[in-house]
Amino acid sequence: MRDQPRSTRALACLVVGTAMLAGAANGLLGICGPFTDVAADAFCPFVLEIFYLGITTGTTATTYDPGANVTRLQMAAFLSRTVDGVLKRGSRRAILDQFWTTQNATVLGITTLGNSPGLLKSDGADIWVADNVDGTVSRVRASDAKLLETWTGAPDAWGVLSAMGRIFISGVNSSGPGELYRIDPTQPAGAVTTLATNLGNGAAGIAFDGARIWTANSLGGGSVSIITPGATIPWTVTTVTTGFGETVGAVFDGSNIWVTSRTQNRLFKLDSSGVILQTVTVGTGPGYAVFDGTNIWVPNFSENSISVVRASSGLVLATLTGNGLTGPPLAAFDGQRVLVTSVVGNRVSLWKAADLTPITTVSTGADTSPWGACSDGIHFWIALDSGPPGQLARF
Amino acid sequence: MRFRAGSRLAAGCLAALAALIAGGGASLLGTCGPFTDVAADAFCPLVLEVFYMGITTGTTPTTYDPTSNVSRLQMAAFLSRTVDGVVRRGSRRSALDQFWNAATQVTTVGTAPIGVKSDGLDVWVANNGSGTVSRVRASDGKLVDTWTGSLGGRAVVCAGGKVNVVAASTPNGTLYHIDPLQPPGAASVVATNLGDLSRAIAFDGSRLWTANNFSVSIVTPTAIPPWTVTTVTTGFGQMGGVVFDGSHIWATDGSAASLVQLGPSGAILQTVTVGALPQFPVFDGTNIWVPNFTGTSISIVRASTGAVLATLTGNGLSQPASGAFDGQRVLITSNNSSNVSLWKAADLTPLGFFDVGANSSRACSDGIDFWITQASAGTLVRF
Repeated sequence: MRDQPRSTRALACLVVGTAMLAGAANGLLGICGPFTDVAADAFCPFVLEIFYLGITTGTTATTYDPGANVTRLQMAAFLSRTVDGVLKRGSRRAILDQFWTTQNATVLGITTLGNSPGLLKSDGADIWVADNVDGTVSRVRASDAKLLETWTGAPDAWGVLSAMGRIFISGVNSSGPGELYRIDPTQPAGAVTTLATNLGNGAAGIAFDGARIWTANSLGGGSVSIITPGATIPWTVTTVTTGFGETVGAVFDGSNIWVTSRTQNRLFKLDSSGVILQTVTVGTGPGYAVFDGTNIWVPNFSENSISVVRASSGLVLATLTGNGLTGPPLAAFDGQRVLVTSVVGNRVSLWKAADLTPITTVSTGADTSPWGACSDGIHFWIALDSGPPGQLARF
Repeated sequence: MRFRAGSRLAAGCLAALAALIAGGGASLLGTCGPFTDVAADAFCPLVLEVFYMGITTGTTPTTYDPTSNVSRLQMAAFLSRTVDGVVRRGSRRSALDQFWNAATQVTTVGTAPIGVKSDGLDVWVANNGSGTVSRVRASDGKLVDTWTGSLGGRAVVCAGGKVNVVAASTPNGTLYHIDPLQPPGAASVVATNLGDLSRAIAFDGSRLWTANNFSVSIVTPTAIPPWTVTTVTTGFGQMGGVVFDGSHIWATDGSAASLVQLGPSGAILQTVTVGALPQFPVFDGTNIWVPNFTGTSISIVRASTGAVLATLTGNGLSQPASGAFDGQRVLITSNNSSNVSLWKAADLTPLGFFDVGANSSRACSDGIDFWITQASAGTLVRF
């Protein structure tokens, strides 16, 4: 057994020696791209790929120093550039040659929509927009923002969820139990189907865990409702109140449902029965959060900040301020960027999701009150509750 | 130095000893996939991911050598394979199980189709000869709408849910605007005072840029046409293509064999020498691919620095004219050949060239297929 590490070390020395010899020889020839110290062997294409991708710059313009070890600090730079490069070139925006960020209200693509467009969600092709004043849900084609359909019969229509090939809407009834509505997009537009009328009061945020629908209920003291799909209507509803103040946003991180509580200034991680597993203290007045695959972005409406929470640990990684935040109710994610609406400030703010750096702040125009937002992977879509009439903006 | 080397060796020995102890236990149990020297601890799933994704092969079929350092050379292999694996499996082609390279469908559009762009769902084609714009549904290649009145339409940009088409008219280029929400009819004329012979168009998030003969025009959309046009001539020759990299507009200058980076007012910030008669480039997220028409080559320019990283030749290029990027691959059309050429964008290796039945003009991607216009044949090809 003692022989093994020694012989491995000897082999490693041989490999390094070979590399040095090869590198020296090729140094004169310069045959691996710009690098004179990298052999034109099987490793050369790998070195060139990370050079062409901008992951490495080399140690000088003509050297790569192939035999050197990598420190953890250097590794962080390499991995960070790798992630950035992959996300950027793999995005649908890159494919469509759309590298721009919309810069002002004049070039927002605007569709006039209902009286009070609120929350919205993409099904991959169309955008579904709830309007609680009209009690309607609008279907807008993402490619050209054409209003395709308006579904009716959804009083207090609030949260929107695209799941199971259907659209689900929470009803934020202010004076009694909340509702759950369903739309079958394959049917001609008409009245929505009411699945349940016994959700907790003020059913707002809505999420799906792969089996059941969850709503965060914002009135009547606050609660969380768990709805189990069934063959017959009404669907079974379980409402949990223990530990909850007025809950607003609901997100699923792939493992657990999380809800924000605006009265407790908390983000709660829930188990499958709605029991609170973990309590995270966030800012004041947390609203509609979004999960970016790693972290949960919680907009704190009353203190103009964003709490970024690691989903796997519940740790608050950072509290972001500035970048134009003025009354932020909601965050949305497009695979690269997080957009946060500022309903008071009439603007939207963007961050790079990977490193939490601010990108820009863009005005949506005076008195536009942007608040609902989602992404379809190409554009962000923003509901401007400027009405009546309201508007849907393509960002 | 000897002391330092010695202490490193000692540290290495300690680590090796630790690995032997841990690995020895694991090897008997064989608990981390094929690797007998990796403990079945919290690191095991991470090692297995890079193994199953093909990012590492291990040092032998049964060992990973977990405590060894990584040289910069080895790291290059790991990172390169990481990029390849993520880009390939993250693509829409992968999700749709479409790994082939072939021209699979031909749609007849108008006369002399040239400019082409996807809005994410439909493909918009500027027919230069018939002065029309075709809207083709990407999913099945059906010609959905035909818009008229775009005399000389040459290039297309989809932005803000609208479609803008520029016409290479003389002495002033013309900008047409289509609202896809409206029933098909005549395209709106929003500017008639662009520079001479506008051949290409790009959007920077607020303004449209066109590349013209001896000028570049900057167009600011306004509520009521005509849109505001500023035409800049200083330093410009016969301009070819124009592209936006997220920060800057770049344009090719055919007569000067250069690629120029522009400031917000159209001033030239940087001039990069490329091949002869550069045409219509494409940006891949990191680099700009410039097809050199008479140079029969592609210049690869790093957008962040303007450095020419490589000049690609061969791979079927014959009067290369236009580039398109699909997230993984760059396609280059050839004006003088029915072949289109493909490269792997990440490492610039050729993927071969493919006969698409007729000489091609320009191309775009919708993330699943490339779409190629063929002016001589009056067709749009799905590739």
